[in-house]
Amino acid sequence: MSYMFKQLSREWRFMLRQKYLLVLLGCAILISGFSVQSGLNEVAQQQQTIERLKAADVADRTDTQNKQDEIGMLAYYTFHLTYSPPSDLAFAALGERDIYPWKHRIKMLAIEGQIYESDTQNAELTQAGKIDFLFVISALSPLIVILLFHDLFANERSSGRHDLLVTTAKSPWALWGARGAIRFISLFLCLMLPFYVGAWVSGTSLVAVGLVSLCCFMYLAFWAILSVYWGKNANSGPKVASGLIGIWVLFAFITPILGDLAINKFVHSPKGGDIMLTQREAVNDAWDLPKEATMDAFTATYPEWKDHVAMQSMFEWKWYYAFQQVGDQIAAPISQEYRAASQKKYELAGYASLLSPPLLLQRVLTRLAETDAVAAHKYEQQVRAFHKTLRLYYYPFLFAQGEFDKGNLANLPSFDKFINKQHGVSDTDSAQTTNK
Amino acid sequence: MIEIVQATAVIEANSLCVNIKNNSILKSLNFRVEAGEIYALLGGNGAGKSTTLKTLLGFNAPSSGSVKVDGKEVINALNHVREKTAYLPESATLYTHLTARENVKYFLSLADIQKSDDEIDQAFDRVALQRNARDRHMQTYSKGMRQKTAIALALLREAPIFLLDEPTSGLDPVAIDEFNQLVRELASGGATILMVTHDVYGACQVADRIGLLRDGELVGEFSAPQNGQIETEQVHAAFAQRGAA
Repeated sequence: MSYMFKQLSREWRFMLRQKYLLVLLGCAILISGFSVQSGLNEVAQQQQTIERLKAADVADRTDTQNKQDEIGMLAYYTFHLTYSPPSDLAFAALGERDIYPWKHRIKMLAIEGQIYESDTQNAELTQAGKIDFLFVISALSPLIVILLFHDLFANERSSGRHDLLVTTAKSPWALWGARGAIRFISLFLCLMLPFYVGAWVSGTSLVAVGLVSLCCFMYLAFWAILSVYWGKNANSGPKVASGLIGIWVLFAFITPILGDLAINKFVHSPKGGDIMLTQREAVNDAWDLPKEATMDAFTATYPEWKDHVAMQSMFEWKWYYAFQQVGDQIAAPISQEYRAASQKKYELAGYASLLSPPLLLQRVLTRLAETDAVAAHKYEQQVRAFHKTLRLYYYPFLFAQGEFDKGNLANLPSFDKFINKQHGVSDTDSAQTTNK
Repeated sequence: MIEIVQATAVIEANSLCVNIKNNSILKSLNFRVEAGEIYALLGGNGAGKSTTLKTLLGFNAPSSGSVKVDGKEVINALNHVREKTAYLPESATLYTHLTARENVKYFLSLADIQKSDDEIDQAFDRVALQRNARDRHMQTYSKGMRQKTAIALALLREAPIFLLDEPTSGLDPVAIDEFNQLVRELASGGATILMVTHDVYGACQVADRIGLLRDGELVGEFSAPQNGQIETEQVHAAFAQRGAA
């Protein structure tokens, strides 16, 4: 039996005799287990919703295609489900999926309004968030670390044992090292075991599990080292705990709130509702504008149809869809401003997270789980890009080919096939997509 | 007068000064304890007794002068000094959620020392800790029983040097006699014992030499005659005269 193992084994048995430590560790595993279960339920619910909507989407589209013969009517009444499925790590870090929409039903109308329609809903409801594993690790676990480590030295000093312990121990590692290590490893396992079970249930990759473990290890180690350092010369455990809880409040609440306030003060962003309003006003105004004005704006983006814009009657579907396109073009600057502001806020939040370890952990884990603002924006761009494929599919029938054969519906783009082909749409690509 | 003997000292302080938070606690302290000797540092409150012990254990660094244990500068050989030293704190508060036996086993394990239950029982017998108390949680222990457990631990460590901080504090007269007997046995077995105390009578009963400490300085030393004890009245008079309250 190696020397180190002997020390750890002694401290393990010693810890098992301390009821308050066992209660703390029990709380840790319970809270972590609850949060993982809650995350798994939420992800399962999202997956079920997607599957249910996919089935309904196919049935609805088939029904519309059976009922409608005219291409313009088909384009108008056919909905397409777009969605962003939760990743296999999303159960641990639900992230921004509470705030950003992860599913849409879109059709051939102007896309910007359709994307941001839900931006005006449920803002207050989403503030509360959900208790996921990330919340437990980033916000609650520091408290457990503080409770476990704050009196590592102070309790021994106030009880009069410190000097006897130090002079008896063969080395500082034999005492403080082994005792701290056992507490740390026990807490780490109590917090992480439910995560490992969740990862196994979700089929999370070993690499992702390894990265999450590493991040959590470093984060918990930070709090443990801080707690030990803060209390190493102290005689009073409650004083140490008060100081550490103050630091926790500073890192977990005050810094993020101040950072958020500063970012929102310095980065001005239009609201999603403004984009929707701009686009809808443009579309509504188009009814009263000369048709040439709409068609000129349309062919500036799609010059290949400039020989097919002449109209034979007061209403034609190609004009209707042209002013939907123009509505997007008019809303494009404000939409881009919105996205640029979001990106800027995300970047600045990155700097703010350097001052707040909990925020930094949240940022890293939501990135790994693809549940952050970056993933949400990527999904939006996928929706725009998919919508563009719908336009590219319908425009030839609307502008050039006249009669529409329903046999062509076999080539109607589907979001499933689209995301299988296009993994990742860059901002540059999508900006061009929006302008078109 | 302080007599400087040029023999090998197990514990030695030479012009030892210790400052704590800008307060001069020990001022040029000189004393030596030879192998197998029982030396009592006697002083009143604030005389610097505990600071001396803490410096010998390496908790305080000398601001000047030197302090050696087993021939080594304490501050440079902490592990060696602590391995050779069994320390008995004044208020031996061990873990109350453990039994005396578990406490002893835990502390011995910290020192990487293996002892059987029989050996532990022998140590408990030497300090006269009741058999039916040994496997009871220490929260029910009296101060004297806690002290006996700590003494048993010190015995089990088999260290050649004992540093005792007010060792008889809280013990009843019978236990004090037993303790003094034990200390003499240890010394006759070759152990070097330094005890700090304010108990003039207790120090005179057991010590081979007594150093009188006042305001961080050694102001007098008393030696026991061959096969005799230091005269309590003489020490008491010096203790009182010199104002060591």
